[in-house]
Amino acid sequence: MKYSRFFIALSVFVLSATLLASAKEIHATIVYDDVATEIASARQESGQLWVTTTDLTRATKFVLKPEGACRDELCFPIPKGRTAEFENTVSGKKFFNVTAFAALVKQPVARDEALDTWYFGLRSDQRETLTSMQSPDFTLPDMQGKLHSLSDFHGKKVLLVTWASW
Amino acid sequence: MKDKNFEIVSVAQDTGGVKDAGPAITAANPSFTVLIDEKHLVTKLYNMVNVPTGVWINEKGRIVRPNEVAFIDDRFKPFTGLDSAPYIGALKDWIEKGDKSVYAMSEDRMRQKLTAADPNVVLATAEFGLGEHLYKAGHAGEAIPHFKEAQRLNPLNWNYKRQAWKLSDAKKDYGTTFKEEVDKIGGGTKYYPPPELPAEPKKNN
Repeated sequence: MKYSRFFIALSVFVLSATLLASAKEIHATIVYDDVATEIASARQESGQLWVTTTDLTRATKFVLKPEGACRDELCFPIPKGRTAEFENTVSGKKFFNVTAFAALVKQPVARDEALDTWYFGLRSDQRETLTSMQSPDFTLPDMQGKLHSLSDFHGKKVLLVTWASW
Repeated sequence: MKDKNFEIVSVAQDTGGVKDAGPAITAANPSFTVLIDEKHLVTKLYNMVNVPTGVWINEKGRIVRPNEVAFIDDRFKPFTGLDSAPYIGALKDWIEKGDKSVYAMSEDRMRQKLTAADPNVVLATAEFGLGEHLYKAGHAGEAIPHFKEAQRLNPLNWNYKRQAWKLSDAKKDYGTTFKEEVDKIGGGTKYYPPPELPAEPKKNN
């Protein structure tokens, strides 16, 4: 077991070396928070998706700062010594590895290879509310399109019940 | 169940949105809040696996009864064999007594019920989400492998199956139908595990 970390480091190294050689420029679609954004020039390297820091913010609202990838109050530091896994400069443009970032924040990613579409699910911070036993909040429309949030009913008992037409 | 301190929030898990869920809402004309959830966000946030699923939330926003089958009428009783009366009785007890109701779970009890999500279950949410996105973006055919992958990763989730079948020709694209799948598990009465309600109210503490 004590060698496992070494082997992981080794395979990451070998993998990155292979990846850099096989980088491909693609038009990608990122679906983040269930909103789709078209990325005209992304880079794909063996299953890893790199986008410019401008596109990162456009697609995910995360901003790359010295303290990490941040969105409003939320900040995920990029682990020390692993910057190369996340940041890369190609022809003067700074790229960010959104799939490595997803792994860092324990966010599931699904990809359609043919359509170059990447779907990012809920990050661990968005799922953790369940373990605190607090009810995760959401905002959804009624039939007339008026938005309601679960938190609107705070102070009352609520039976939250799902159903479907199918 | 009308009470000034109680609300029902009913959420339709329908990719087809108002087009699919609307007719049932119009027909039922309910007095409570009914929301449309095209992205199955509530299923995802609460790790639900079927409909109807009910969650009780107290005045402070804490979950006091997690996911369970929640029938508030007997429309489907012929299929499920489930009587809604015990559940409604429990609900009324909670509305009256709040956290002291025997049916409301303590934080400790809740903690025992919560388990860390299986990585496959988490990944399934993304495959399902991708399937939905592709379907809505006009790639119904490309959506199918992702719906299938979600079903494979989380075979206990009926929402993933039934929603995908609805958006497609189940027999042709998935090689099965709802009826065949229900028959496989032994029929409608096996489809819904009944809510685990304490047999008789114990003393309040």
